[in-house]
Amino acid sequence: MASVEFVHVSKRYGRVEAVSDLSLRIADGEFMTLVGPSGCGKSTTLNMLAGLDEVSAGEILIDDEAVTGMPASERDIAMVFQSYALYPHMSVRDNLGFALKVHGEAKAAIAAKVDRAAAMLGIADLLDRKPRQLSGGQRQRVALGRALVREPRLFLLDEPLSNLDAKLRVQMRAELRLLFDRLETTVVFVTHDQAEAMTLSDRVAIFDRGVVQQVGTPMELYDAPANTFVAGFLGSPPMTFLEATVADGAAGPMLAGEGFALAAPAPRDRLRRGQPVVVGIRPEDIEVSRDAAGHPAATAISLVEPMGSTTIVYAPLGGKLIAIETDKGTDLAPGDPIGIGVPPDRLHLFDPETGRSLSA
Amino acid sequence: MAAVSSVPARPAARSRRRPSSVSAVSWGLLRWGTIALALLAVLVPFFWLVSTSFKREVDYLADPPRFLVENWTLAGYETLFSRNDLGHFFLNSVVVTLASTALAVTLGSLAAYTLARARLPFKLNGALAFWMLLTRMYPAIATAIPYFLIIRDLQLLDTRWALIVTYTAFNLPFVVWLMIGFFEEVPAELERAAMIDGCGAWQRFTRIVLPISGPALVATAILSAILAWNEFLFAVMLTRTEAKTLPVVMAGFITDKGMLWDQMTALGVVTVLPVLLFALAVQRYLVRGLTLGAVKE
Ligand SMILES: Nc1ncnc2c1ncn2[C@@H]1O[C@H](COP(=O)(O)OP(=O)(O)O)[C@@H](O)[C@H]1O
Ligand SMILES: [Mg+2]
Repeated sequence: MASVEFVHVSKRYGRVEAVSDLSLRIADGEFMTLVGPSGCGKSTTLNMLAGLDEVSAGEILIDDEAVTGMPASERDIAMVFQSYALYPHMSVRDNLGFALKVHGEAKAAIAAKVDRAAAMLGIADLLDRKPRQLSGGQRQRVALGRALVREPRLFLLDEPLSNLDAKLRVQMRAELRLLFDRLETTVVFVTHDQAEAMTLSDRVAIFDRGVVQQVGTPMELYDAPANTFVAGFLGSPPMTFLEATVADGAAGPMLAGEGFALAAPAPRDRLRRGQPVVVGIRPEDIEVSRDAAGHPAATAISLVEPMGSTTIVYAPLGGKLIAIETDKGTDLAPGDPIGIGVPPDRLHLFDPETGRSLSA
Repeated sequence: MAAVSSVPARPAARSRRRPSSVSAVSWGLLRWGTIALALLAVLVPFFWLVSTSFKREVDYLADPPRFLVENWTLAGYETLFSRNDLGHFFLNSVVVTLASTALAVTLGSLAAYTLARARLPFKLNGALAFWMLLTRMYPAIATAIPYFLIIRDLQLLDTRWALIVTYTAFNLPFVVWLMIGFFEEVPAELERAAMIDGCGAWQRFTRIVLPISGPALVATAILSAILAWNEFLFAVMLTRTEAKTLPVVMAGFITDKGMLWDQMTALGVVTVLPVLLFALAVQRYLVRGLTLGAVKE
């Protein structure tokens, strides 16, 4: 059990600033996910916390104690690597027990802990195999087991699911969440997959180019993204961004763009007439009207994608192809004329210059 | 259209197949021919050595040479063992070879690990590695006289230590270069995992890196051992009576009264045998070690 705090932490590799001025607090027992596109500094952040990389500036605190200069071996942290990094010359049993052995625990105690972790992960029958005799999913469990056995104060996981095939990944995602709920240990989880971030985390920190964009619970970030990066990163299919200008309408200010006009969300007094804005629309917030004639946002369907539980249709609007989530039973077909409506309070407005949210 | 274009295609295909079967045959000939030549080049002298050791003087001195004779004899071996304290010299060779190999592999893999993993200041990694190789770039005889004087002043002449130190020095650059290559193949993430699991640098080396590099270590050790076992120049220069190794003893059969071919070839066989048996025993490791890293798992 441990809390973690990054205090103005930066990491430079030569001229590349992999992480810039990161300040982040992770509470005891929290499941915190660092998410962002490849190369945004997630692994670097995790490695600094683990003690595998040094910080260039700033300080990291674990349980309110600065760990600068403390080697990885003394931080009481367990880590799962993307490549799993299982020791190839050791059996699964020895892989699981290695850290305990290094720390000089008694053989009987090691055996008991290894058996318990193996049972928890359903790998008890694999204990005598070598890593090369395991499937990808089994290796992944062993890598997790190696961390679990330690009973560390902090778990770090660097893209642990990304080498699994899609089906196994979703299954392991749920198992991971159940597992860590039970363990009640602090977890820092790194992924580039927004779905993993959304489903697993207590809180999420979204990174872009070494800078944290926003920190919050998955739903906070989803419902109130701080900028266009966060808004576009979370959600699948992603939010559509349309360029528009604030204009006067019969019932108050409107957001008018190329071929559409939508009622502006409240509070409206912060919007000036003529102000350019970026309008963000999530696929599930759109209300489709079959009555396209004279509709303020009229278009025609260009593509229908049945997803099984829902159907996504695409239609051109404001120079973009807008994604619309509909029921799976929809009879909408390519070429159908439709009108697009969005409840004003579901619209997200951003500053076209800075990308920052205008809603906050 | 399709029919027209298919007509010239068929004879072309046939004519393509015919030369390919011809070239398959000639490739086979070339391949087996080359293998046969290589085997001849290696095995004929060896056959000559072994057969001479079992011949009588009239047969091995016969002109033209006789490959197969009627009367084989063990006389060469009997004289060899009765007139020389062979056990002592054999032990010299074994001790010098084992000790220098153990030293070279131990020191060399430690150095190689550092050069492969640590980031030394001023780009010293590359400079040090190259410097080691440099010591193998001039003929060893060029340093013979100063080296002899140093060993003499250290009072090590005609001791096993003189050869142990010398062969260790010979083999070090070679071990370092081979092992750097192998260590660089060990994924860095394995060592990072070991760091997390509580290992310091020494434990990472001994518990993770060394066990993984086992085949490479064995291969390197075998090659070092063969070099030490066969070395002649420095052995003849630094030893006189006590610390002589088998190659030096062998050269002793070139006397002012003539060549004692029977004893010399008999000793040749005796010298080759242990290495041969050893190489057969560890062949598996040798091949695995030398191809390590060539194929990713
Ligand atoms: N050892 C290194 N040397 C130089 N640059 C590095 C090193 N490690 C990471 N970087 C750079 O730092 C940035 C962040 O990398 P990383 O933290 O691995 O990203 P990710 O979010 O994909 O895990 C990238 O631009 C990467 O190229
Ligand atoms: Mg990464």
